[in-house]
Amino acid sequence: MPLLSKENHLISLFVVGLLGWLLPGAGHFILKEKKRAVIIFVTITLTFCAGLYIGSIGVIDPVGATPWYVYAAQIISSPIVLGLGHISAGGGFPVYGWPNEIGQIYTSTAGLLNLLCVINALYLAHLRATEVTGA
Amino acid sequence: MSLQPFFVMATFTAPERLATDPQSMLWMLPLVAAIAVIYKATKMPAITTALFFKETAILFGSIVVFIIVTALVLFALVWLMAL
Repeated sequence: MPLLSKENHLISLFVVGLLGWLLPGAGHFILKEKKRAVIIFVTITLTFCAGLYIGSIGVIDPVGATPWYVYAAQIISSPIVLGLGHISAGGGFPVYGWPNEIGQIYTSTAGLLNLLCVINALYLAHLRATEVTGA
Repeated sequence: MSLQPFFVMATFTAPERLATDPQSMLWMLPLVAAIAVIYKATKMPAITTALFFKETAILFGSIVVFIIVTALVLFALVWLMAL
C-alpha cells in the first residue's frame, strides 16, 4: 500500500509538471490555485508574445545562430515552441541585431519564469500530498 | 471571412524596427514587471488584489532602482579609469 501511494504521488507530480509545461499556469489550476494560474498564464503568455512580436518567430531558431541555451529556455515556456522552431528552421524569417536580442531575451525569460512556476506547482503538490498522508 | 486574424498573425513574421539609442533601455521595464509579477504570484501565501499590486510594485521599484544604481556605479568606475 505505501508503495502504491508513493507511485500515485509520483504520477500526480508528473501530471502537475507536465500540465504546467503544456500550458503556463495549468499546474496551479489543477491544484485549485485559480488566481495564481490566471496571473501566471497571462504574464508568461504576454511576455512570450511580446518577444515574438518584437523579433518575429525568427527568434526561435533551433539550427541557426541562436545559442542552444536560448532555445532550451524558450522550449520550457511551452511545447508550441517546438512547432514554431520547425516553421522557422528553414531560415524563412531572418532577424538580426537589436530586435533579435530583445526577442530572444523576452521569449527565453518567459521560459525561465515558467520553469519557476512549474517548480513551484510541484512543490505545492508535494506539500499537499505529504499533508494528506501525514508522511 | 474577416482578414483581421491573418493581419495579426502577419505582425509576428517580421521584426519590429528598434533604434539602438538610450531610450531602447526602456525595453527592460516590461520584462522587470513580468519577473516581479511571477515572483510574487509564486511567493505570496494568499493573493488579494490590493496586496498583490502593492507587493509587485515594491519589487518592481526595487529591481529598477538596483539596476539604476548598478549602472551609475559602473559609469563612475569607467569615468574614474578614464581619468
